[in-house]
Amino acid sequence: MADYLWSTQSPLQKALVPGRQGVRSGEAGIALTEMTGVAVVQIMARRGRWAQTAKAARAHFGVGAPDRPMAAFGKAATLVWSGPDQFLAVAAVDGSAGPIAAMSDAFAGNASLSDQSGGRCRIRITGARARDALAKISSLDLHDTVFPVGAAAATSIDHTGVNLWRSADVAGNAVYNVLVFASFADSLWHTLVDAAAEYGVDVDRMALPRG
Amino acid sequence: MRIACPFCGERELGEFTYLGDAAPKRPSAFADDGSEQPDAQDAFHDYVYLRDNIAGEMTESWYHGGGCRSWLTITRSTTTHEIKAVKAAPGAGARVAAGLAS
Repeated sequence: MADYLWSTQSPLQKALVPGRQGVRSGEAGIALTEMTGVAVVQIMARRGRWAQTAKAARAHFGVGAPDRPMAAFGKAATLVWSGPDQFLAVAAVDGSAGPIAAMSDAFAGNASLSDQSGGRCRIRITGARARDALAKISSLDLHDTVFPVGAAAATSIDHTGVNLWRSADVAGNAVYNVLVFASFADSLWHTLVDAAAEYGVDVDRMALPRG
Repeated sequence: MRIACPFCGERELGEFTYLGDAAPKRPSAFADDGSEQPDAQDAFHDYVYLRDNIAGEMTESWYHGGGCRSWLTITRSTTTHEIKAVKAAPGAGARVAAGLAS
């Protein structure tokens, strides 16, 4: 293999301004964070090979592969459903070999893997008013009973395709994760900040902790 | 209008793209013995260009491009927009479609 690696940079380099945004009085109702150092691998079962792919995923990641719109939280990666018989493995960047190297043997012959790390941007939305802000721009029902921890959706926000999933609550607040194509991240980011502005926003950038 | 995607659940119309009538089947240019079908040109003209303008129930192909990127076959009334059935189109995901080897 050629000694060449894509060098990636944040698509929010200009759009993201750390600090307080929107309403400045009182406690911020939203925390908006770009998660950096995120490795994303698309795993698509080959024709007639879903059962084998799901089995390989359980052996490799220690959690069942999502076979419906949901996220499965493994120790080293989160598996997010992205369509029938396919899902994304989202993890912290680890080493320079690329994320596929460690899993290509596990899925050989059963699934096609594609490294999407540089092509996506992961944004985390949390805080007491996170759901209110998201509800303005998403057509999904995000109520706790319909979209609990572990729920996921491939959907559109502001005409932009995203993978949305809810991870474990932090400080009693829901945590929503948005994975968006890097070239649409700037636009979506502004939409998110606008939707959150009336509640007060704490904006930050954070490296995804290693599993 | 909302469409109940068999994979994602109920979603707004904006996530879907309409292709058209799902009924036309691609004709074969060749007979089983390998010879050319004499009426192939007419059959392909019909397949590519001619559509029925149905007032009532029809089966249609829709694409859930704003969601799970699956092709769907939808039975819809063109007069009331009522949707009677939504199915995954043959070959969606990794399933083996009828007539396709695995």
